[in-house]
Amino acid sequence: MADHFSGPRILFDPASDVADVYAFPSPDRPGRLVLVLDVFPAAAPTALFSDALAYRFRARPVTPADRAFTVGEAEYSLDFTFAAPGEAPGSEHPVQNGTCTLPSGEQILFQVGDEKPTETAGVRIFAGPRLDPFFINLKGVLASDATEKLAFRPEGATNILEGMNVLSIVVEVDPEAVFGSDSGPLFGVVGETVISGGRPTRLERMGRPEIKNVILASKKFDPVNSDLEIRDLYNEEDAFAVRQDYEGAYRARFNANLAYFDRLAGETVWPLDEQGAHPLTDLLLADFLVVDVSKPFSENGCFEIETALLAGREHTTCGGRAPNDDIVDTLFTLLVNGVDGNRISDGVDQATQPATHEFPYLVSPNPTPPDLMTVFAALMAPPEEAAA
Amino acid sequence: MTGTTTDRHKPRTTDGTLALTNLSAQIDGLAVQARLTGPAAHFAVAQQSVLVDLLTLRGHFLGRVADYEQAAQLADRLVENAPDSSTALSARARARATLHRFAEAMSDLDAADRAGARPDDLAAERAAIMQAVGCYGEAHLLLREAAPRRSDFAMLSALAVLHAESGNIAEAVHVFQEARNAYRGVSPFPLAQLDFRRGVMWLRDGELPAAREAFDAARRRVPGYAPAIGHLAEVELLCGDADAAADRLRPLAETSDDPEYASHLALALRAAGRYQEAQPWRDRAAERYDQLVLRHPEAYSDHACDFWLQVGADVDRGLQLALQTLVMRQTTRSYALVQRARAASNQSA
Repeated sequence: MADHFSGPRILFDPASDVADVYAFPSPDRPGRLVLVLDVFPAAAPTALFSDALAYRFRARPVTPADRAFTVGEAEYSLDFTFAAPGEAPGSEHPVQNGTCTLPSGEQILFQVGDEKPTETAGVRIFAGPRLDPFFINLKGVLASDATEKLAFRPEGATNILEGMNVLSIVVEVDPEAVFGSDSGPLFGVVGETVISGGRPTRLERMGRPEIKNVILASKKFDPVNSDLEIRDLYNEEDAFAVRQDYEGAYRARFNANLAYFDRLAGETVWPLDEQGAHPLTDLLLADFLVVDVSKPFSENGCFEIETALLAGREHTTCGGRAPNDDIVDTLFTLLVNGVDGNRISDGVDQATQPATHEFPYLVSPNPTPPDLMTVFAALMAPPEEAAA
Repeated sequence: MTGTTTDRHKPRTTDGTLALTNLSAQIDGLAVQARLTGPAAHFAVAQQSVLVDLLTLRGHFLGRVADYEQAAQLADRLVENAPDSSTALSARARARATLHRFAEAMSDLDAADRAGARPDDLAAERAAIMQAVGCYGEAHLLLREAAPRRSDFAMLSALAVLHAESGNIAEAVHVFQEARNAYRGVSPFPLAQLDFRRGVMWLRDGELPAAREAFDAARRRVPGYAPAIGHLAEVELLCGDADAAADRLRPLAETSDDPEYASHLALALRAAGRYQEAQPWRDRAAERYDQLVLRHPEAYSDHACDFWLQVGADVDRGLQLALQTLVMRQTTRSYALVQRARAASNQSA
């Protein structure tokens, strides 16, 4: 799952568990940047945002360099904070109010769950429960890990998140008005949950999808830290400046696990260098989405800017990540078959209901979501059966 | 010595009511048992093990025995379906320890050890059990063994409670504050539990104002924190304000399936001279204790003994339960309970 349940610590604090981050140019207002942060995986309809957290988007200008991106000094952050729910006239349920703080310090108030977006000059906001837009054949991914072979079976493949909800924050900004006229058009974007007030401790952060759960989670190939649950540590990092103290541990895990993915199809497309470094490690360790807001909206742009960089060509799409983008297929294709390799399919091609092209893009929540354990019951099968 | 500890560091945590709503939302999202085979089994076991712990947490905060029972049943099924999983065995050990089935919990931890659980993780689990049965020296050694793998907060809070329970109050006060300073999350539950345990320490030490401050801090962090409210009422009763204690206990007695609150409400009402009002609560507690002693003798015999020696007014039954507790656990507290029951029996003879 994209970043759902990404580490043991977060399992006991779901309101701080980042499930997904999306960044894409607005389909209906070209030139505007849409940012989405999903938290609280498998949220029951009563779930609420924490009043002790800042839900934060951070964007920085980036420029392509040799097989990675150079990150600019300027940073534009949008903080979303929430009050404890209170009574509201005419409502049976408690109402939660939120505040968005712009890079300028200007604050915009909104109400959680209000289907009518809050809009001021240059900014549109929605926050509340939505149907989880992510989709993945988790059974196939886990079977691949268990058998160390590609194990996606198109027939009978199911999306583990079918019918499930998340809490979403969707914001659309005019970068020129909100970030400044000299910003962009290429941005690195991350989403975070940070303790608000007091010590600003980062609890979770996410840039690209499946970096933690698919690429970093497995310990068995790591020659340095084969017993380390690295994801909690990784979650604390500043995506734009990883601590040097731990960088070696992350690199070792990336190198080992990326090499495992390269072995899945039997042919090496990413030869390691003399030090055992994988060619994708530098790029992926800088863990942020790269979006070009000057390009038109694309549903299939995720990793395109990165792969263009690796191939030494100009990117042609907006990159970033849109909700309907089939990133599991894209990621496995890149890791297993290389930049322009044959497309791999996990057999699950869309979410419960695809996102729309109208704000807030993510569709209304399922009023009766399945519980996670029922979903797991459908997930189980011996690895041999799951393998193609 | 009894100075309040909360002002120097005030960690920001999620609103307690909101957090309880989210806890239930999380439990609802994780509800049913799955059949556990195949490559996803490990993932599912981990999720269900979390569910066992979440149910136990809600059971503690809301005083819901039903949650403890559901956690125990879930843990049993978990081990039935994944008998070689150290995660499942450890989860069952914790669920059993919650219901004071310490020997079985230890046996589960031994099995988890054989199934490949990390020795330092097991040391932390074993330490909690050794502490619960009064083996403080052993618990201390095990905590030291577990220390490198635990967060500063988890380690320090366990150590603080150990010092408190073994009567080392000065050290406990210091470590409680250190634990508080080490807290890094936004969940209000760990800090509320820390304040609660600090309150229990002061209550046992007879320092009622300090106990009141700590229980009140726990209750403010998580409104509806049943054991903290129950102990606040106990402090009020000890301070002679029986009516205030009764007011505080009534909502708990009405909603909780733990008879302790009905029992204490009856006691408070009697202390306030409201005997007629006390009787239905006494009867309700008696009936519920009878059920729970049958179902979970390890967890409820000592509480039931307390009940029969006081508001239940059946000293023989109290003595019988005190002896039953002693057979199950030869701790200082169990011996003290027998002594108290014998004294009451001699007095009534």
